[in-house]
Amino acid sequence: MTASAHDDFEAIAALDALGAATADEERALREHLSSCLSCRRARDEFAEAAALMAKDLEPVAPPADVRERVFADVAPDEEAEGERGFFSRWGLATAATLFLALWGWREIGIRAMREHVQSQQSDIQRLSNEKQVLELQREKLAAAVASLASANTQTIALTGAQMSPSASAKVFMDSDKHRAVVVFANLPKCPTDKSYQLWILRGDQPKPQSAGVFDVEKGNATITIENLPVMTEIKGLAVTMEPRGGVEQPTNANYYVVGKT
Amino acid sequence: MVSLPSPATEYLPAVARGDLAAFESLYDRYSSTVYALLLRILGNADDAQEVLQETFVKAWSNARMFDAVRGSEAAWLISIARSRGIDKLRARRVRSDRENDAGREISHRSAFVDHATGAEDAIRSQEQRAVRGALGELPEAQRIALELAYFEGLSQSEIAARLDEPLGTIKTRMQLGMKKLRERLKAYH
Repeated sequence: MTASAHDDFEAIAALDALGAATADEERALREHLSSCLSCRRARDEFAEAAALMAKDLEPVAPPADVRERVFADVAPDEEAEGERGFFSRWGLATAATLFLALWGWREIGIRAMREHVQSQQSDIQRLSNEKQVLELQREKLAAAVASLASANTQTIALTGAQMSPSASAKVFMDSDKHRAVVVFANLPKCPTDKSYQLWILRGDQPKPQSAGVFDVEKGNATITIENLPVMTEIKGLAVTMEPRGGVEQPTNANYYVVGKT
Repeated sequence: MVSLPSPATEYLPAVARGDLAAFESLYDRYSSTVYALLLRILGNADDAQEVLQETFVKAWSNARMFDAVRGSEAAWLISIARSRGIDKLRARRVRSDRENDAGREISHRSAFVDHATGAEDAIRSQEQRAVRGALGELPEAQRIALELAYFEGLSQSEIAARLDEPLGTIKTRMQLGMKKLRERLKAYH
């Protein structure tokens, strides 16, 4: 661009500073200024020069109430500030409440999850215990079945006594395994505070020996006697009803099932 | 002689940060100059005070737009005031009979007198000394052209018509006048 062109734009800038440039001149000037630093500087200097026309006037102090109005317009509105403060406090309180609610909800969630985990762990433990019990029962049942199936197993029939004449029992005695499986039938239901107890009447001992405590279900029960004293004479078996859990010696002579081996 | 203020602290950067004390200082420093300008443009104290208020409120809200590299804060404020004053003047011209503005010829400055506000004396005093300093040193034809544009917001064509001069002549006068003002400004820096 030639120096003359810059002079032309400076001339327009002079008019523009007075607000006297035409629309076309203004448009051309804006376009030129976007890429011409020297003319931008000239435009700024002309604007500063135009301000001299105002500065050249004798200053006139405005009335005091104008100052008051100006500052009333720009000063922070205390009421609005108060409202903003209120809303700010309200917002803060709401945020805090939400935070606490979320925190509480999270804690409750964590607690519920912990309880759930604990519950599952308890279930696992319970199932593990049940598994052990079932495993033990399975082993016992397998042993009982083995004894029942053994060729050397001796079968003895027991009959109902005075307390339950219709009751009966079969004893499968496996001397090789020192085990006997006793299967009861038609025994009366046992009160909740009582248990049936099986007694072995040994030839070498004057007192009966407990062979175990059992309950019946629908009159039926099965009890396995381990460590059967096969080397000694077993004179017979008898069942009495005793305090729940059993006793060391029979508390009564009311037999439900009796029999001789 | 132009009475340029001595280089002083610029308040607008602090005003832009919401510093009310800086804004008070800004008002105290420039309100009289701005008010005089608005009286000169509008010739009516009520209107001048209204625009003065608008000018400083706008300065408060737009202070962050001030760029010290481009010019002084005085020129920035004056530019706002002049622009709003001319806008109001033009709006008033649309509403009222141009007869009301007839007395605003450069040669009849007594039209500034506002009997309702008590600013008459100050305005008369201003008028008596208006043509002085930088403007006073310009050839009268250039000064009149500049004043018609700057204080009355007239276009080149309107000035040419008002003064019954060719448009090119008016444009040249205005450009020459502004060039001299710019040179004078440079002489003070």
